[in-house]
Amino acid sequence: MDRSYKELLKLRRFPHTWCPGCGIGAVLKNVAMAIKELNWNYQNTVAVSGIGCSGRMSGYMNLDAVHTPHGRPLTAAETIKTVRPDLNVIVLSGDGDLGSIGGNHLLHTSRRNPDITVFCNDNEIYGLTGGQAGPTTPKGTKTITSPRGEPYLPLRLGRILTQQPPYFYARTTVYHLNHLKTCIREALLWKGFSFVDIISDCIELNGRRLGFKTAHQMFKWFDQRFHIVEGERDHLQEDELGIAKAMTEEVPQPMEKVEVKPEILMEDLKPFTLEELQSFDGSGGKPIYIAYKGKVYDLSASPLFQGEKRMRCHIAGKDLTKDMGIAPHGEDLVFKFSLVGRLE
Amino acid sequence: MKRLVSGNEAIFQGAIQAGASYFAGYPISPASEILQQAALYSEENSGFRFLQAEDEIAAAIATISASLSGAKAFTATSGPGFTLMQEALGWGHVIEAPCVFVNSMRVGPSTGMPTQPAQSDLLQIKAGSAGDYYPIAFYPNSVEECFRLTATAFNAAEESLSPIILLADAFLSHLYEMVDLERITVEVTPRSKEPLGSGQRLFTGTAHDKIGNVKTNDPVVYREWLWEVKGRHDRAAEKYPLFEYLPRKNSETLLIAFGITSRIISSLKDRFSIFRPIRIYPVLEKELKEMTQSYRHIIVVEGSDGQYASWVECAICRKVMKVPCLGGGFKLKWIQNQIEECLKGAGR
Repeated sequence: MDRSYKELLKLRRFPHTWCPGCGIGAVLKNVAMAIKELNWNYQNTVAVSGIGCSGRMSGYMNLDAVHTPHGRPLTAAETIKTVRPDLNVIVLSGDGDLGSIGGNHLLHTSRRNPDITVFCNDNEIYGLTGGQAGPTTPKGTKTITSPRGEPYLPLRLGRILTQQPPYFYARTTVYHLNHLKTCIREALLWKGFSFVDIISDCIELNGRRLGFKTAHQMFKWFDQRFHIVEGERDHLQEDELGIAKAMTEEVPQPMEKVEVKPEILMEDLKPFTLEELQSFDGSGGKPIYIAYKGKVYDLSASPLFQGEKRMRCHIAGKDLTKDMGIAPHGEDLVFKFSLVGRLE
Repeated sequence: MKRLVSGNEAIFQGAIQAGASYFAGYPISPASEILQQAALYSEENSGFRFLQAEDEIAAAIATISASLSGAKAFTATSGPGFTLMQEALGWGHVIEAPCVFVNSMRVGPSTGMPTQPAQSDLLQIKAGSAGDYYPIAFYPNSVEECFRLTATAFNAAEESLSPIILLADAFLSHLYEMVDLERITVEVTPRSKEPLGSGQRLFTGTAHDKIGNVKTNDPVVYREWLWEVKGRHDRAAEKYPLFEYLPRKNSETLLIAFGITSRIISSLKDRFSIFRPIRIYPVLEKELKEMTQSYRHIIVVEGSDGQYASWVECAICRKVMKVPCLGGGFKLKWIQNQIEECLKGAGR
């Protein structure tokens, strides 16, 4: 078996901090293996993580690693990618970090679609602090902060992340190893924001309370809860493991309609003097005319020239060329109205 | 060429002069113009990156991350946003990321009075984040000084390896003065930290030893680390003992004021001596001791209820009188009356 991925781990810091049976080890190892396969190393890869058990992952990687405050790895990763596009940036984090305290950043970083890859160790609990209910804890689960069962529905990361293309969202578990490897590899190769939701186990601080005796029993439980779906998918149901991805559809920009108006010669237009123009102010059933750049337009259809509440510059029967400078609109607005004559 | 420049523009241009290549921010009066300038500037200069973040938390984290990635980075905000940035500020001190935070102060707490000027975020720069840390903060009082001090702040950041705070206020941010920015030359300290992607380091907000190993249960390691950081910050701060002293012969009273307040009371310089600290934190202890000893009365005029005055009292071990200009009220006449009353009360 190829063990060269170990170069990417800080073995001098082992034994690691995680409990026996924890799923994070599988996440870390498989991410390291995938990175090694792609020949990424400390000169072109940066690992970012947040707080929690999963947050410690970056510290065990033999890379430049950034351990951010709670919930902020996505912002940090996005910025690193912005400033240094030559670096591959991976985020190793958890469900509480990304979905709860960093929820706002999840929404907005995914919207801005930076080319980073996020691995979410989704163990459905706050493990490091002792087993409090997290954002992805299923409804009814008993935890130390929901002794009668979690009262609320869980956050559906998949729904949030697949709301509009482009997106890459994969759901897998630490039990379905081959599937896990595929998801990690595809996510690393995806151009844009990719998110791998890795359902993981926390036997010590969640599993035992739920009645599981070993981590393996929890794995079996994952096998019952989830099934792998093959092929290209747009969305994943909550019990499905697979990859949902979509590129941005190239929406053809609607062409602006250009009406070709027949050229009108100035000489053909009816001439008006300023005095004549003044009488066309809308009174006595007469139309409303104004002059602009030597031409006279019929503005009877404009609501802004009627009634007592007419706006400051909308004076009928006047040459309004100079007033265009202070108008909030351009001269296009005037050209929409019908041309009726020229100013003498 | 001389032209009208606002305080905010001078801050932005000062940062560019110092080599800044990253800005992240979130709109907030009275600092929004810096964000707008950054957006415009990034359109024209591909080397300059800009992020309008989803909140100030993200803006601050992005600023520090950009610094780790090798860019000279800065952000600008006002009191409420600065409160949100405290988390990142603490983080920046622990992971030793040189960058600049601009805080253009307005009346607080919370939303306060947008957008009336104040000088009430002083304690926030020192004690807003958890734990012990040693920030350095400067406070200009003119548009030209905004430009110069922003560059100074970037230099101090590289020397202390920490986020430096540049204070301003709503007055100063929106103050327009005739300045020729092109003719001002500033010294620029180059980047002092290796960017990401050049080692196998861990930049962690957790307590750690010198090579970045997490050490969460060793007081000796923590103490060593903290003393080292403190020493470095002290050395960096000592390089910039910036202040302005306008002595008035035979005056028994020393007025202490900074930022826009010092501009407002500058017309009192014919009656009183005036001391203006420019480096707000660490407090100019030595200088304050020296300046204040020959005066019978010391009056601190500031836009908060005695935040700086309490630092002065600590530094010189002596009670001082206070004229707090609260709620955006910085009228010279009112300040003058208050000074007179202080002196009457003190039995002049």
